Amino acid sequence: MSKPAGRSLHRQLLLWLLLPQIVLWLVAAFGAYRLASRHADELVDASLLQAARALARQIKPTASGLFVDLPRSAQDILAADPEDRVMYMVSSPPGQLLLGDARMPAPPQSAAAAEVGEPVFFDATVPEPMRVVSLDLQLGAAGTPASALRVQIARSTAPREQLARRMLLDTALPLSLLIALMSMGVWAGIRKGLEPLAELQRQMEGRRADALDPIQLQAAPPEVRALAGAVNELMGQVQQSLDTQRRFISDAAHQLRTPLAGLKSQTELALDAVNGAADPALRQRLERVHESAVRSARLVSQLLVLARAEPEAVAAQGWAAVDCDRLVREVAADWVPRALAAGCDLGVDIVTEGLRVQGVELLLREALVNLIDNAVRYAGAGATLTVRLRRAGEDVWMDVEDSGPGLAPALREHAFERFVRGATTGDGCGLGLAIVREIAERHGGHAQLLPAAPQGCIARLTLPLEAPARPA
Amino acid sequence: MNLLLAEDDALLADALQQQLAKAAFQVEWAENGAVAEYLLRKQDFDIAILDLGLPMVDGLTVLKRVREAGRTLPILVLTALDALEHRVAGLQAGADDYLTKPFDFSELEARLHALLRRGRPASQTQQLRRLSLDRAARRASIGGEPLDLSPREWTLLDLLLAERDRVVTKQQIVQAWGADEGGGSIEVYIHRLRKKLEGSGLAVRTVRGLGYLLEATATP
Repeated sequence: MSKPAGRSLHRQLLLWLLLPQIVLWLVAAFGAYRLASRHADELVDASLLQAARALARQIKPTASGLFVDLPRSAQDILAADPEDRVMYMVSSPPGQLLLGDARMPAPPQSAAAAEVGEPVFFDATVPEPMRVVSLDLQLGAAGTPASALRVQIARSTAPREQLARRMLLDTALPLSLLIALMSMGVWAGIRKGLEPLAELQRQMEGRRADALDPIQLQAAPPEVRALAGAVNELMGQVQQSLDTQRRFISDAAHQLRTPLAGLKSQTELALDAVNGAADPALRQRLERVHESAVRSARLVSQLLVLARAEPEAVAAQGWAAVDCDRLVREVAADWVPRALAAGCDLGVDIVTEGLRVQGVELLLREALVNLIDNAVRYAGAGATLTVRLRRAGEDVWMDVEDSGPGLAPALREHAFERFVRGATTGDGCGLGLAIVREIAERHGGHAQLLPAAPQGCIARLTLPLEAPARPA
Repeated sequence: MNLLLAEDDALLADALQQQLAKAAFQVEWAENGAVAEYLLRKQDFDIAILDLGLPMVDGLTVLKRVREAGRTLPILVLTALDALEHRVAGLQAGADDYLTKPFDFSELEARLHALLRRGRPASQTQQLRRLSLDRAARRASIGGEPLDLSPREWTLLDLLLAERDRVVTKQQIVQAWGADEGGGSIEVYIHRLRKKLEGSGLAVRTVRGLGYLLEATATP
């Protein structure tokens, strides 16, 4: 939680589950090896001591010295295994070879002071590593001078190590197998356990940016369900505040309409009153106020249209087949007087008849109105405007072509952004083309500005055809 | 022309009263729904402008009650709300037209006149620029000079004049002609009418792909 960047949950779980297991396994293996080698040592030491005592028993003091009676059986013990290197030495006094192998090393200094009759065990290399037992004895019958005697037997450590290794192998192998099996189990378990999270991830990744509907998780464990529930709740809140905001914008815009209507009417009136009589500067100022009132009024209307073109709003409106001919004719006829007043010659050219699209008529009408309004506004007096309807493949093109000054290529795409205005004067509010694009996209189409020949601009609304039109 | 203006916004009402007075209306102002309803029931108005968002009694209720009381005067509804739903509700409740705020006064005036025209038969005589029309006699004259018009030409002129400054479609013309005798295409009649209207201060404009429109020429 305090970590700033999260590591994969999967990997973390795997690490935390498997790492202690591996450590435990290593400790266990090491322990088993140690135990095995200690047992092997003890076994070897015991047999060495037994052999040394047996050998010592065969040494008998006589008047002249020592008599060693090494019977066959003893020899057999000493040479039990041809592979198993064994050597012995009897010396008296200690260090003075009496019998056996002279290469036998002396016990370490620390062990030299060992009590008589106590065995001393040590490791030596002569030349191979060997385990040695050294047993000091006092021999002497009553009356004879006591003589010190040392019996040493050495045996190669190779078989002892072999034994230890085998014991290690015997414990470690099944343990490793067990670990491997367990790791697989843990891995599968984590995978299965984290599956609901993966499902959650898939659902979140596959969502549209504006989708706020709840996540659907079937049969998820409580933890994930709680998470999904929290996310759903959050999304619900976002949706709610979005709705509230939308409602607020819509309400505010509606509320603004009446005072704006008042303002507009008052300035119209004032303009009439000052007509001619008053000083031109005052009239100019008044004209600016009026212009500003008109622009504000328009902006409010456009904002409402934009709000209506929001996806949710579109879904709530009537979606039906729209007759493009009728739409174009009606909107254009409606606009002819206004276009004439602005000095524009507005006409209609239905290239393909009987075209229909699926959509919200009110919005499509609004889009076309905006395109014509735009053309009238920017093409200027004397321009020819044509609303052209035609089929292009599986699309319908609604073009508004003007013979005005046209638009710089750099401005063409830019023009569809909100609050970008093509001119610094006039009462455009910079929302017209943004609305057109929004509406076009809502209907699965798009809007673009193209250059017209020989001059001017074509604003094109492309909409998917409802169904193949009857051959014209 | 008596007009009732039911609008609660004082600023807007004040401006409208002045503008309407200039446009030769006699305006009575009601600032809430209750007053508006009372006045509409008690007095005879030629036309009413009714805001839907009135205090006390909302505009839609006023409209319904007035219609239930048997009043048939043309009523234009003003609304600050989105047109579509309210238009339907308003028209169902008995409104004759609607206008969304804010609006140009010229638009309001044009609609009021259109409603008043619709309310009574077209006036028998009409004078526009130098053209006079006598509907009873089906006769027209320019500056006193009688125009020689065939039945179809006369119907065409009558229609264009009634719908002046608006587009008249070819279908509308064909419908208007009905049983009028004559042959030839619309274009031919338009051409003839144009010639005959020379000097009248009016001209027939061709609207590409749509139809025709009668407009005043720049020089009367």
